[in-house]
Amino acid sequence: MFSSFRSAMTWVHTWFGLVLGFLLVVIFFFGSLSVFDREIDRWAIPETRFEHQPMPSFDARLRPIFESIQPDPNELAQARERVGTLPEKLRLMNWSAYTTHRDPVLTLYAEYAVPNPSDPDDHVHGHVTIDPRSGKLLQNDRLAIGSAFFYPMHISLHVQWHDLGYWLVGVAALVMLVLLLSGVVIHKKLFREFFTFRAHKHTQRSKLDLHNLTGVVALPFHIMFPLTGLVIFAGIYFPVSQTLLKPLAEKHEQIEAQARGLPHQPSGVAAPLSSVDAMVVEAKRRWAKRGMPGEVGFLQVTHVGDKSGYVSIFRAGSDRVTLVGQAVHFEAATGRVIYEEPPPSAVSGISEFLTGLHLQHFQHWLLRWLYVFGGFSGCICIATGLVFFVGKRKRRHAAEGVHGARWVDALAVATVTGTVIATLGILVANRLLPEGLDQRATWERGAFWACWSMSLVHAVIRSAPVLQARISPAWREQCHAIAGLAVIAVLLNWVTTGDHLGRTLARGYYPVAGLDLALLATAAIALAAARHLRAREATPMPEERDGFSVDTLAVDAADG
Amino acid sequence: MKKTALVVARVTASLLGSYVLVWGFVTFGITLGVAGGMPYDDSQTLLYMLAFLLFVACFCWAFSAKSALRVWLCFAFGGALMTLSGWLLAGKLG
Amino acid sequence: MADALLALAFLCSFSGMGWFAVAMKPHWVQARGDSANGEPNSGRLRLLGTIALLASLAACLGADHPSMAFLVWVMTLSASALGVAMTLSYAPRALYWLTRVGRSRDTRRCA
Repeated sequence: MFSSFRSAMTWVHTWFGLVLGFLLVVIFFFGSLSVFDREIDRWAIPETRFEHQPMPSFDARLRPIFESIQPDPNELAQARERVGTLPEKLRLMNWSAYTTHRDPVLTLYAEYAVPNPSDPDDHVHGHVTIDPRSGKLLQNDRLAIGSAFFYPMHISLHVQWHDLGYWLVGVAALVMLVLLLSGVVIHKKLFREFFTFRAHKHTQRSKLDLHNLTGVVALPFHIMFPLTGLVIFAGIYFPVSQTLLKPLAEKHEQIEAQARGLPHQPSGVAAPLSSVDAMVVEAKRRWAKRGMPGEVGFLQVTHVGDKSGYVSIFRAGSDRVTLVGQAVHFEAATGRVIYEEPPPSAVSGISEFLTGLHLQHFQHWLLRWLYVFGGFSGCICIATGLVFFVGKRKRRHAAEGVHGARWVDALAVATVTGTVIATLGILVANRLLPEGLDQRATWERGAFWACWSMSLVHAVIRSAPVLQARISPAWREQCHAIAGLAVIAVLLNWVTTGDHLGRTLARGYYPVAGLDLALLATAAIALAAARHLRAREATPMPEERDGFSVDTLAVDAADG
Repeated sequence: MKKTALVVARVTASLLGSYVLVWGFVTFGITLGVAGGMPYDDSQTLLYMLAFLLFVACFCWAFSAKSALRVWLCFAFGGALMTLSGWLLAGKLG
Repeated sequence: MADALLALAFLCSFSGMGWFAVAMKPHWVQARGDSANGEPNSGRLRLLGTIALLASLAACLGADHPSMAFLVWVMTLSASALGVAMTLSYAPRALYWLTRVGRSRDTRRCA
């Protein structure tokens, strides 16, 4: 089909870049925001704007709260649909609590067994969120915009139906790797043009330069993130162990369980829970002895109230890239250590490093900001690619009366500036909506989708100039909208919570100060972009020859 | 029309055909690892890390190869062979 | 202490990338502006660049656990490369000081 490897890669880069580019901008953008998801949660839920707390005493504070957790009513209703009637009280299976160095609040989870399920993993859950300083319960239904909206958008695009969202993101990630490889193959002057950005040229040249620059300088980042993301969810994409190799997998799972001595099923005999605080002390002692002193990251009580119950205490990996690990498992009734996880094998160690690289549980604020820089570079790379695609074709399409370039441009506006507008929209709605509003979370999410839809409609309506090979004014107009919304969001935060920048900076409360500053920076950049676009829109079209602009020909010749 | 058929053949080869081959690779690879003494989880983890590198290579080959038919035959046959081998070996080990 | 080391790491990365950039004739000319005469001593500039980037790695390793230090280093390289490219695009003369050490011996005799 192609005359050479290079021409094949050019075709793949162009057309897969076009089809998947829109999705990839969204995935990269919300991935970048997710780096600071818990800080965005602080902005969105003002009651939680206090310092991070270590996990409080289990015996004194957490245990009574765990005992008060009830199954979530929605999950109960869904379970009834699956298995019919449910008993009054479901059997409690396990409790767990997870804490990070970034979270001031603590969420406690309980898992319940569903009788006669068709799927043995069918469980119902309940959870509460508390202020660890006092044990006071916080409202469960407040939308944590960072970790419960932006982050799920990144991993599954909020498409829940049968894991379809995960598959879409997976395909996009795989294609991203192909785009990077093909991009390197077709970029003839990779080293010679490593630092080249001819910003002052009013042609396709500067767009292509920026596309190449943002792609190449952060190439390790752009490769590692899709790759590690795919490895993290590989069980979804290649469920070999749940299908073809299920017998082999289960046999080895049983061998593993026996080697560890952790009972798979409860015995049915009741037993009390011994002091978990004492177990935490012992776990910390063992970690220190191994040369890695640390705090508790994750705590789970399995088979609650049963003789075969056990308590698993995992270390928070905030000082290194690898995730929570080095678990110590205790017999729940006696506090005796059953099993201490050994250092990981080579394969496990590499995998945990890769996973930790992506999921970022580490405590390193500079590295987090560098991750955001990498993510936004990726967004700029993809966006400039889309804009370059349109620019290269709009003259020809204008001459031939074809609408392709116009639609791609409109979709690009909706994906690039539209995504930012929707993001700002949900933050503004978060501050504007009345505190006690019923289903407030649904209204907030609705605001996001409404803003995005409006941005798409606006982009389409204003895109007619592209049919004459000019720049669509939608770009500039949406930049103005971004600037306005960003400033409004900062002002609303001040008005509704009193936490203006003067106060948050003086107090050193960076989660909120950081987001406010980022919003103001966004407004400034959007205004500068709008001004730049106005100047570009006013520039007359470059000289034409045979229906193609001279610049485009030159660029075509240059990039082969 | 012919061009569309060619494109469809290549695109499906790159995505679906590669998937079949990589599925076989993962299946056979895991069982080989276990047969070689690796714990099951480690074997699975290793194969997952390699799988996507192979997928990218297959994807590119699906477009750069001279004949789409050859690509499809290799993927289908290779994938089926490795899947079958993996399943048989798993039966022996399990 | 860690903050100072990380700042040093950035400085070294930026200088290192800057030296690699001005080792190429077009960027050398950009950085030296109107006084653009002479050839860059590419070998020496690239050596300086390499040393600076390795110094940056050392600084990162001094600040953090090795697994994190490596990631921080790679990302400072990316950020520095982008920074150098932007500087060359908007304020190229700012990199003039990097070229002071890199003039090729042969051309020094010429005007």
